[in-house]
Amino acid sequence: MPGLPLPIRLSAVLLLLAVAVFPFYWMFVTSLTPSSELFASTPRFWPTWSETGVYADAFRKIPVATWLLNSLIVAAGTTVLSIAISLFPAYSLSRFRFKGKGIMGLSLFATQMLPEAMLVVPLYALFGQFNMLNTLTALILANTAFTVPVVVWILKGAIDGVPEEIEEAAHIDGCSQVGIVWRIVLPLIAPTLAAASVIAFFHGWNEYVFAQTLVSSESLRTASVGLAGFVGELSTPIHTVMSIAVIYAVPAIVFYMFVQKYVVSGMTAGGVKG
Amino acid sequence: MLHTTRRMALAGVMALAALPCFAGSALAQGKTTISFAGVTFSEAGRGDRLREWVDKFNKSQDKIEVTTLGLPFATFANTMFTQMGGGGGPDLIRFDTIDFYAAVPAGRILPFDDHIKDSDFKFSAPNDYLKVNGKRYGVAFEISNYVMMYNPALLKDGKVPTTFDELLAVTKAATGNGNYGYAYRATMAERNGFWQDLCNYVFGFGGRWSDGKTLTLNAPKVIEGVTAYKRMYDSGAIPKGADAATYRRMFWESKVAIEIDNGGVAGIFNQQAPNLAWNAAPSPFPTRAQGLILAPLTVNANTKNKDAAFTFVKWALQPDNQKALQDILGASSVATDVPRSADDLAKKPWLKVYDEQTPNAVPQLVGGFEVRTPELQQIIIEQVLKVLQGGMDPKKAMDEAQDLAVAKMSK
Amino acid sequence: MSAGKTTESLLTSRWTPYVFMAPVFLYLLLFDFIPLVKEFYLSFTSTSLLTPSVNKWVGLDNYRELFSNRDFLHSLWITAVYTIACVVLAIGAGLGTALLLDAPFLGRAVARTLVTLPWAAPPVAVALIFTWIYNAQYGVFNYVQRSLGIETFENWLDTPDHALTAILIATIWQIFPFSSVVILAALQGVPKELRESAALDGAGAFDIFRAVVWPTIRPTVMLLALFITIWSLRRFDLIWLLTQGGPIGATNTLVIDLYRRAFVYRDLGAGASVGMVGLCIAFAITLVHHRLSSRYELKGR
Repeated sequence: MPGLPLPIRLSAVLLLLAVAVFPFYWMFVTSLTPSSELFASTPRFWPTWSETGVYADAFRKIPVATWLLNSLIVAAGTTVLSIAISLFPAYSLSRFRFKGKGIMGLSLFATQMLPEAMLVVPLYALFGQFNMLNTLTALILANTAFTVPVVVWILKGAIDGVPEEIEEAAHIDGCSQVGIVWRIVLPLIAPTLAAASVIAFFHGWNEYVFAQTLVSSESLRTASVGLAGFVGELSTPIHTVMSIAVIYAVPAIVFYMFVQKYVVSGMTAGGVKG
Repeated sequence: MLHTTRRMALAGVMALAALPCFAGSALAQGKTTISFAGVTFSEAGRGDRLREWVDKFNKSQDKIEVTTLGLPFATFANTMFTQMGGGGGPDLIRFDTIDFYAAVPAGRILPFDDHIKDSDFKFSAPNDYLKVNGKRYGVAFEISNYVMMYNPALLKDGKVPTTFDELLAVTKAATGNGNYGYAYRATMAERNGFWQDLCNYVFGFGGRWSDGKTLTLNAPKVIEGVTAYKRMYDSGAIPKGADAATYRRMFWESKVAIEIDNGGVAGIFNQQAPNLAWNAAPSPFPTRAQGLILAPLTVNANTKNKDAAFTFVKWALQPDNQKALQDILGASSVATDVPRSADDLAKKPWLKVYDEQTPNAVPQLVGGFEVRTPELQQIIIEQVLKVLQGGMDPKKAMDEAQDLAVAKMSK
Repeated sequence: MSAGKTTESLLTSRWTPYVFMAPVFLYLLLFDFIPLVKEFYLSFTSTSLLTPSVNKWVGLDNYRELFSNRDFLHSLWITAVYTIACVVLAIGAGLGTALLLDAPFLGRAVARTLVTLPWAAPPVAVALIFTWIYNAQYGVFNYVQRSLGIETFENWLDTPDHALTAILIATIWQIFPFSSVVILAALQGVPKELRESAALDGAGAFDIFRAVVWPTIRPTVMLLALFITIWSLRRFDLIWLLTQGGPIGATNTLVIDLYRRAFVYRDLGAGASVGMVGLCIAFAITLVHHRLSSRYELKGR
C-alpha cells in the first residue's frame, strides 16, 4: 500500500503486530499470573516475574523435554521425508508433458481433501499389519501423506522457474537425468525447500489426531497430546497448561525465525503458481 | 556457498534413506510389561498419587510391571475404541460407565469370572451394574456420588438451602462483588459434564430418561428438572460459559458459593486447597436421587498378557490397596467396602454426606438403552440448549426430544 | 553394469515422467487411496468403531439418513459459511498484510517475522489460549468489550449467535499469516518498472493495484483460495477443542459431524458417508477451480 502516507502505514503495521502477537503474549502472561489474581475483574496485563517457577516445574515434574523431543523427531522426519518423496514428482510435473499428467495432478490434490478423522481407523489397521503401531515412524509416515501434495506443488513452481538451458548444458556434459535433478536443480531451489519445509515441519509439529491414536506409550508422546492431556476430567491446572503451551510454541517460533527469510524468497522463486 | 547448501540438502535426503525406526517397546528385562490407561492419571491433584499407588504394585512384583497412561479426557473413549477396534489398546483400562456398556456387547473387554470370584471379595452394591447377563466384566475403580458443596463464608447468614427455591434465593444473594452463587455446565464443549449436571437435576426432580423399556424424555418430572435447570441458568447467579475446571478453581479461590459435584472433586479441593473451609449437604431437590459416577477397571480383550492383567486386578482388590486407593480418590469409594477411619471422618465432615448418598445414586445412563446413550445424550443436550439459549418452552423441547429419540432408536 | 544401463535407459525414455512420479504415487496409494477405498466401502455398511471388521451391508441407507436429517443439512450450511468466510477473510487480511509489508520501511524484516508468527502456533495451544481469552468473566475479550461500554457476560463460544464468529476469529488469526506470506512472495513478481511508470502517469494506488499488481498475483491468489477452501473443509482440532460443534450445532462443520458419528456414536459407516459427501464437495470445488483457472490462462495468452 505505497499510496498511503507513512504514518498511517506504520500504525497499521503496529496494529497488525499487536493482533498477531497478543495471544502468544497472553499465554505467557497467564502462565505468570498468581492464582489469586487469575479471577480478578480487571485482567492483569503484565507478567508477575516471581511466578516463573511454573516453567522450572514443567521440566522437573512433567516430561516436557521428552514430548518436545518426540515432536521434533516427528516434525523433522515429516519434513525430510516429504521433500525426498516430492522432489522427482515435482520435477516430472514441471518438465515433462505426458499422458495422464492432468489426472495425476488432480488426484494428488484430491488427497488434500481427506480429513485425518476419516483416515485414522484404516491407518491404524494398516500400521498394525506392519507392526508399526506405537512408533514415531508411523506418525512420520502418516503425516507425510498430508504434506506431500502441497510440497509437490511448491517445488514444481520453483522448478518451473529454473531455466532449462542450465540443465541442457549438464546433459551435454553427460550428466544423467537423476543427476541433473540432484546436482543441478536441487541446489537452485534451496530457498524453496525452506518454504516447503516450514509447511511440512509445522504439520508434523502440530499434528494431534494421529499422535494420540497411533502411539500409546508415554515415552513416545508428542507435545500436542501431552498438552491436551492436561485438560482433565475434573480440573485443569491453568498455569501448567499455559506454561506448557508457551514451551510448546517456542521451538516452532524459533525454527520459523531461522527459515523465515528464505520462505518469502523461496515462494517467490517461481513460487506457488496456478 | 552453493556447495554447502547442496551438500546439506543431500545429506538430509540421505539421512532419510536410513530413517531409523523409533520404536518404543523398551522391554524391561525378563518382565512382562502391561499398560493401564485412564484419564485420572493425568489429573492434577490425584494423578501423581495414583501413579505412586500403581508403583507399589510394581515393587511387590518381580515378573510384572504396569505402566500408566494418562490420556486427554475429551477424546479418551474415542482413542481407546479406535485402538481396541484395530486389535490393540492398553491391557487395563479405566472406563466410564457409558463406554463400558459399549465395549461389553462388542466383545472388547474380558469377563472376569474365571479370574475374579465374586465370593472372594465383598463388592459394594454398585458393582452389580458391571455385570452383563450375569457375567462380571469389571470392578469399580471409583464410585462417586453427587452432593451439594458449599462455601459457608459466601452464604448469607451461613444459610444452607434445602429446597430448590431456597437454592435459587441463596445463590442469588451470594452473587455480586465478583462472586457467583452457583456454577454448573451448559456448553457443548463439555458435553459429558453437561450431561452429568443435567442428570442430577432431572433425577433430583424425580425424572428418569426411561422406564427401562421405553423412553420417557418428556415425562412431567423430566420436564420439571429441565425447567429447574433453565431457572438456574436465568437466575444471574452463574458464571455463564465457564468450564468446570475454571469454576471449580473459582470455588477453591472462594469465588463460587455452591456447586453440586462428585466425590472426586472433593478429593481435589482437599488436595489443592487444604485450608478452605467448605462443607457438603444433600442436593436441595425434591428427591434424594442424584447421578452416580461408576468408573470400572476392565481388561482389554486384545491383551496378550491376560494373567498379568488379572494379577494386577487381584492386587488392586486387596484390602490394604483398596484403602490406599480410596484415600487418594477423595470422597469416592472403591470396589469393596472400606470403612472410613474415625480420624478421617472427623477431619472431613463432608465424607459422611457423600457416603450417605450411596443408596440414592443412579448411573447416568438411559436404562435399557445403555449402549446408545451417547446418541440420546446428544439429542437431549441439544434440545436442552434450545431451552437455555433459544428460549424454547421446556415441554415443547422435550416433546421434540422424545420424538427424535424414538425415531432414532427405531433404526 | 547392465542393471545400471537398464535403469539409465528407463530414465531417459518416455517412461521417465512416470518413473519420476512413482514415489509419490506409491506412497499416496498406500496411505491415502487404499484407506479411502476402505472408507468408501464402509459408507455402505453399518460398522461399529469397536468391531471395524464386522460390516453389515446396508446399501444407501447411510446416505438416505444423512439427506433426510435436518441437522446434517444444517451442518452443510455451517460448513459453507465457515469455509467461505475463511477464504474471504484470510485472503483479505493476507493481501492487506502483504501489501503493507511489501513497501520498504525501517524494521520491515522484523515486522514480517512477527506478523506471520501465528502460523507457527500449534492449534492445540491456540484452542487453549482462545478459550481463556473468551472466558466470559475473566477473559480479556469481554473485558475489552466492557471497557468499550458493551455490557456483556456471555461467552461468545457459548452463544449460538456468536460461536461461529468466535471460531472464525481464532481460525483467521491462525491462518492469515500463511496467505500473507504466499501473497507477499507473489508480489515480488510484480515488475517494478510497470508500477513506477504507472505512478508517473498519475495513476492512483487502487488503479495501479488493479492494472499492474492484481494480474500478476491473481493465479497465486486463486490457488491459495483453493488450498484454504480445502483446509477449511477439513479443519478439525481447533473447532473440536473450542466448541465440539456446539452450541445447538452453531459450529457443527462436516468434519465435526463426521467425527461425532464415527467416534462418539461409534458408527463408522455413518461417519464414512459424511466423509464421502465432504470429499465430493471438495472435489467439485477443485474441478470448478481447475476450469476457471485454465480458462483464465487461455485468455491471458
